[in-house]
Amino acid sequence: PAYPQGPTSLTDSPASQDLLGPTGYQQYSQPFPSLSQLSAALGGLSGVPELEVEALRPLNLLQERNLLPPRPLEAPEPNLSSELKKVNCSPQTFRCTLTSIPQTQALLNKARLPLGLLLHPFRDLEQLPVITSNTIVRCRYCRTYINPFVTFLDQRRWKCNLCYRVNDVPDEFMYNPVTRSYGEPHKRPEVQNATVEFIASSDYMLRPPQPAVYLFVLDVSHSAVESGYLKYFCESLLENLDKLPGDSRTKVGFLTFDSSVHFYNLQGGLSQPQMLVVTDIDDVFIPSHDSLMVNWKESKELIKDLLTSLPATFSQSRETHSALGPALQAAFKLMSPTGGRVSVFQTQLPTLGAGSLQSREDPSQRASAKGVQHLGPATDFYKKFALDCSGQQIGVDLFLLSSQYADLASLACISKYSAGSIFYYPSFHHIHNPAQLEMFQKDLERYLSRKMGFEAVMRIRCTKGLSIHTFHGNFFVRSTDLLSLANVNPDSAFAVQMSIDDSLVDSSLACFQAALLYTSSKGKRRIRVHTLCLPVVNQLSDVYAGADVQAITCLLANMAIDRSVSSSLLDARDALTNAAVDFVSAYKNNVSNLQQSGLVVPAVMRLFPLYILSLLKQKAFRTGTSTRLDERVFAMCEFKTQPLQQLMRMVHPDLYRLDNMSDQGALHLNDTLVPQPPLLHLSAERLSRDGAFLMDCGSVFYLWIGKCCNEMFIRDVLDYPNYASIPPNMNCIPELQTLLSERVRAFLDWLQDNRAFSSIVHIVKDDASAKATFFQHLVEDRSESASSYCEFLQHIQQQVP
Amino acid sequence: MATFPEYIAQNEERDGVRFSWNVWPSSRLEATRMVVPVAALFTPLKERPDLPPIQYEPVLCSRATCRAVLNPLCQVDYRAKLWACNFCYQRNQFPPSYSGISEVNQPAELLPQFSTIEYVVQRGPQMPLVFLYVVDTCMEEEDLQALKESLQMSLSLLPPTALVGLITFGRIVHVHELGCEGISKSYVFKGTKDLSAKQLQEMLGLAKPAASSQGRGSSSPRPRGNPAAARERQPLNGSGCARRFLQPVQKVDMNLTDLLGELQRDSWPVVQGKRPLRSLGVAMSIAVGLLECTFPNTGARIMTFIGGPATQGPGMVVGDELKIPIRSWHDIEKDNAKFMKKAAKHYEALASRASASGHVMDIYACALDQTGLLEMKCCANNTGGYMVMADSFNTSLFKQTFQRVFSKDVQGSFKMAFAATLEVKTSRELKVSGAIGPCVSLNAKGPCVSENEIGSGGTCQWKMCGLDPGTTLALYFEVVNQHNAPIPQGGRGALQFVTQYQHASGQRRIRVTTIARNWADAQTQIQSIAASFDQEAAAILMARLAVQRAETEEGPDVLRWLDRQLIRLCQKFGDYHKDDPNSFRFSETFSLYPQFMFHLRRSPFLQVFNNSPDESSYYRHQFNRHELTQALIMIQPVLYAYSFQGPPEPVLLDSSSILPDRILLMDTFFQILIYHGETVSQWRKAGYQEMAEYENFRHLLQAPVDDAQELLHSRFPMPRYIDTEHGGSQARFLLSKVNPSQTHNNMYAWGQESGAPILTDDVSLQVFMDHLKKLAVSSAA
Ligand SMILES: [Zn+2]
Ligand SMILES: [Zn+2]
Repeated sequence: PAYPQGPTSLTDSPASQDLLGPTGYQQYSQPFPSLSQLSAALGGLSGVPELEVEALRPLNLLQERNLLPPRPLEAPEPNLSSELKKVNCSPQTFRCTLTSIPQTQALLNKARLPLGLLLHPFRDLEQLPVITSNTIVRCRYCRTYINPFVTFLDQRRWKCNLCYRVNDVPDEFMYNPVTRSYGEPHKRPEVQNATVEFIASSDYMLRPPQPAVYLFVLDVSHSAVESGYLKYFCESLLENLDKLPGDSRTKVGFLTFDSSVHFYNLQGGLSQPQMLVVTDIDDVFIPSHDSLMVNWKESKELIKDLLTSLPATFSQSRETHSALGPALQAAFKLMSPTGGRVSVFQTQLPTLGAGSLQSREDPSQRASAKGVQHLGPATDFYKKFALDCSGQQIGVDLFLLSSQYADLASLACISKYSAGSIFYYPSFHHIHNPAQLEMFQKDLERYLSRKMGFEAVMRIRCTKGLSIHTFHGNFFVRSTDLLSLANVNPDSAFAVQMSIDDSLVDSSLACFQAALLYTSSKGKRRIRVHTLCLPVVNQLSDVYAGADVQAITCLLANMAIDRSVSSSLLDARDALTNAAVDFVSAYKNNVSNLQQSGLVVPAVMRLFPLYILSLLKQKAFRTGTSTRLDERVFAMCEFKTQPLQQLMRMVHPDLYRLDNMSDQGALHLNDTLVPQPPLLHLSAERLSRDGAFLMDCGSVFYLWIGKCCNEMFIRDVLDYPNYASIPPNMNCIPELQTLLSERVRAFLDWLQDNRAFSSIVHIVKDDASAKATFFQHLVEDRSESASSYCEFLQHIQQQVP
Repeated sequence: MATFPEYIAQNEERDGVRFSWNVWPSSRLEATRMVVPVAALFTPLKERPDLPPIQYEPVLCSRATCRAVLNPLCQVDYRAKLWACNFCYQRNQFPPSYSGISEVNQPAELLPQFSTIEYVVQRGPQMPLVFLYVVDTCMEEEDLQALKESLQMSLSLLPPTALVGLITFGRIVHVHELGCEGISKSYVFKGTKDLSAKQLQEMLGLAKPAASSQGRGSSSPRPRGNPAAARERQPLNGSGCARRFLQPVQKVDMNLTDLLGELQRDSWPVVQGKRPLRSLGVAMSIAVGLLECTFPNTGARIMTFIGGPATQGPGMVVGDELKIPIRSWHDIEKDNAKFMKKAAKHYEALASRASASGHVMDIYACALDQTGLLEMKCCANNTGGYMVMADSFNTSLFKQTFQRVFSKDVQGSFKMAFAATLEVKTSRELKVSGAIGPCVSLNAKGPCVSENEIGSGGTCQWKMCGLDPGTTLALYFEVVNQHNAPIPQGGRGALQFVTQYQHASGQRRIRVTTIARNWADAQTQIQSIAASFDQEAAAILMARLAVQRAETEEGPDVLRWLDRQLIRLCQKFGDYHKDDPNSFRFSETFSLYPQFMFHLRRSPFLQVFNNSPDESSYYRHQFNRHELTQALIMIQPVLYAYSFQGPPEPVLLDSSSILPDRILLMDTFFQILIYHGETVSQWRKAGYQEMAEYENFRHLLQAPVDDAQELLHSRFPMPRYIDTEHGGSQARFLLSKVNPSQTHNNMYAWGQESGAPILTDDVSLQVFMDHLKKLAVSSAA
């Protein structure tokens, strides 16, 4: 089934209809920028020379030691007119590696930088214009949704900004519900916002919207019980049960498995849940007609009883085997009629039935400099399963909590191709590993309550001349520009690579539109549309001036991961290094007119080699250090799905000194003073024994306490008298009423803001244990097996012809 | 000397045995000329509350091929402490514990009154009783509710230590784990796939843990800790694991009551025009498999409750298309019963597995239409299980009958016994040809076994997995003594029945019955042989043979065989002049026999076309297990008349007994019918019984009702109770049973006679007898 196309003749609807009807527009809290349609059409040429000059300022990296900006790097602003900038899509949603699009493929080739988009299409938004309208206005030729970057030729005609063809303005569109005036089509919310959401009509449905359906598939084998996850999962779900997105139709179900598969009859009216055990795992079947997926309101008490009883029920389990494949087959059968979300919790290698796996990891080879084997799946079972799921609108999320090798490379397929999410907690143990437990709990809280979209498809269109050729993320590519997303969640990101097929000489602007059609958890069909507008340039220097070093890094990482699997890890590493080398050479040969010696790059790309080095030291790409195969694979999965900001904090964490924070430059937010300490380079030489340093790695904050750290800081922030008394494994900042504590917490809270998943805090003492956790992130320093930043720069320089 | 009827009654009372002949013809040739073979109806566990339990073990003959039990017929040399076996003449030393015996100090087993004696075996463990309920959930809400209540009630009737289990089925089969807290748990199985005992064992986790993890072969981490300690916490040997599914009533009473209470109708939707998918075959297979691997050779009942036919998987008897009805006799005759043979094979295999393990299979089939008893009959027949048939679980027929399964004797033990074997020993002149009844052959060869097989033959041992005080086997013997080797004067033939069984108390017991009968030379002493004829026993013994034949042969062939036997008997023992039918006379000992045969010919055991195949199977099942009196009622219903003319009296089962001023009570075993004659019925309608001045009429109405209640309350299975009257539609049940002495064919000839004419083309008894006489005296025969 293809993406449902709207009626071909959008102008067919009679004009005399009451446009004020009760299904009119929702309230907007956002004022619309008043934008002249002409300036929109002609915009993009009004460059800002000073900024460009700064961006292109040549820098010799061998000499420049302080590259970091004082505050974390922001996305570059496209060189557009201020009006266009105002309405353009947020970089948090839509980012391009080159914010100035090269006019031709030749120019792009010359730049030696990748062209691609990074999308975070379903992220949580504080404000979103929602439009309920009889007619969703789209280009009748290329189906682009009307957007702020179209041109109104006159009152009755608009020109599509992607295919340049002329469309009629439907009558309904002539009325502006905000100003309640007639004849101002360019003031409609669709034309005033680069991100809008439509309530879709039945034209956009292949079947009536299904309820939100959640199935939890839980490993209850001995290793699962031993890890202790089950108890915490049940607790967490009990706490968050009411937060599961949905409405009165929402359905919930549970499956557990060890060497057999267990279903649960939760039919309202029963006095207690009934477990139905299917031991014939070679021929798994559904043992009850309608009582396994139940309305969560009608069966709430039974669900609670189940969650309360489950941990004890399996506490004595001696089942060491894992029939994951059969459990998945059962899940598929349960979910097929409705689609929905399947959450799989697995703690070991599947050993029984379909999809059973053998250990492929040789621990002695982990640190080998030779190629890393087994990055791809051992069987196509999980991929096939995921594709079947995708076909039935089932998204599968995987939580792997394993102390042993579990072959994530194979298991991850269930989520990769079904648009699911993957969570991994290596060495999870509820007692021995409290940090993992805390992370698991925090992740669950977010996971269970986050917004959900079902039966989704996403289409990305771009201006004529540009084309998308490769997609990154978790989805199934249904046709060349259509991604099938059985589930869409607010935390997953996507990336695409593009090429320039035809010269963009006819236009000064290039536009990209991502349209995400989904069913909300409340059973409404909705379309979220994001449109990004970027200038087209014909000079290489202009291309460089608009380069987005973070987006480029992330896209390269995605490309390198594909290379690791299809070719080899060493190949991928070489490709990353070569990207830096190629860029430096291209810049040297084509732009830099100063015959400067050293390693010269434009300022805007000054962090590029550092980021590439950081990538090479990531678990996904590193060699020489012992990296468990599953952890490596998981890191690779993260690159494919994490939003850019989160990824960048993983690749190159933000380091701050906390013990001597001043009020200088502090933010005043709601009566709270949030200090803004400067960013520090990730090098041990930036640390000092008498300080306390915070490293923000995205999902984890490390607070490193030097051996000679100021005792006042230790007392006022950590509530311990001195360094020696700080316990190992401390992982929270106590809420103390001291100035220092309040500052530190205000800063942490501020960092935490706008992050989907809560981060956990590790207090790291300056001893041997810090090495594995904290020092490995100091990417500028030399490690046993990887070069320092300086050495890396020298290596690049040697490679540049 | 007592008369033969007294002698017969005495022997029946003491030994539970009735012989066709109580004096035996002494040669093979003469024996075959008797027409009715030397045979016995034996009720192994006939209620003998007076029997003292003997707390030691029986003393056996030391000859390996004999092993007969010491009995009152043995010659004893008290001085030498020797006894001579009366079967093989082996001289045996008494065991040391008998050193004190003398003429005045005899052990019980030597006393003549202990021709039947019961030993209680002291060694071996006390066996638990196991009750496994197998419950259909494809039925109407009302039926299921009634069934649930009956099952819950039954829990209170079980001894607290009895083990219970529950299997439910509809489209899916559930094996319920008992005693779960918080979450109830059942193992589920597809109804379309049969499982071997081994597969089932593995799937229910009953296999030994080591074997199971080896079987599944993998190198995954083993659980930490000392495996022995872990095993102690949770026993994993076969029976320990089984405890999850079979637990003592006292422990899971509440849990099981709740579980039954929560039982819901099969949830799968049934499309219009379809039957529900009922996985009966797999459910029973799982039940058999579960007990087979957990409690082999322990008394256990698999009680299956069925609300309709098996419609899928192995054992299905009809498809799920409603428009295609379940097979009829017509279909079977036309070889058009698509599923019958395959299904029967499935259930036969189950029955033989169950009986090999000593387990009983009961079938309670309550539905308006057939459920497949024809195909399943061997489950009950071969294991000594009960077969109960009713229209609904919500009938007193089912409820009362089911309750009666758990009836107890004066000691408070169930009347049911388990896992029995019956061994027959014969003296040299006799051999055993076979048995007909709820048993299977143990295929034990030996010197007592005849080459001529009758029923389940070729063995001297049979297994009876379930039996009660009424369970009765027909045993057939062959006289092997040659004509020229006469029996010594005064010689007696002897038989010994050794029944080993598990008493409901859990004890193993051995009941030994030793019997002797005189030999007589048929040529010189034919009168004494004829005088010893037990026509009631003979009728039932011949009827069992006929019913046995009817299972495999065409109906008319069976009737022809039966007629030929009767004619031959008349020829042999009748008094007549050749070719003069009017001269025919039969002595009193034979006088009722032809009448029994007349009714047998008309009975549902041999006439199938007014019954469904299920009904036939059901009737035959009952006939083959009940004791003589009950069986006779089945063949020839009993009719009592109530009137103002005098006290209630038995009357002829004849249409001439139907009079307007009479109330009739008919007992067909399966039905208790009260029929109000025309006048009585009118009075009743007029309400005379309500008026004080007609109190005697009220009493008249009440008398048969009271008598009926007594029958209804004592019989197993409970009969169907019918209250009808002259012209009532249910009167047909009466009219079909009585001898049609007056039919529309002959009523005018009978003139003003007051009997009720019967609309039938059946021959009347009179016509039958006339015909019989003619054939018996014919010199052409
Ligand atoms: Zn267009
Ligand atoms: Zn002997």
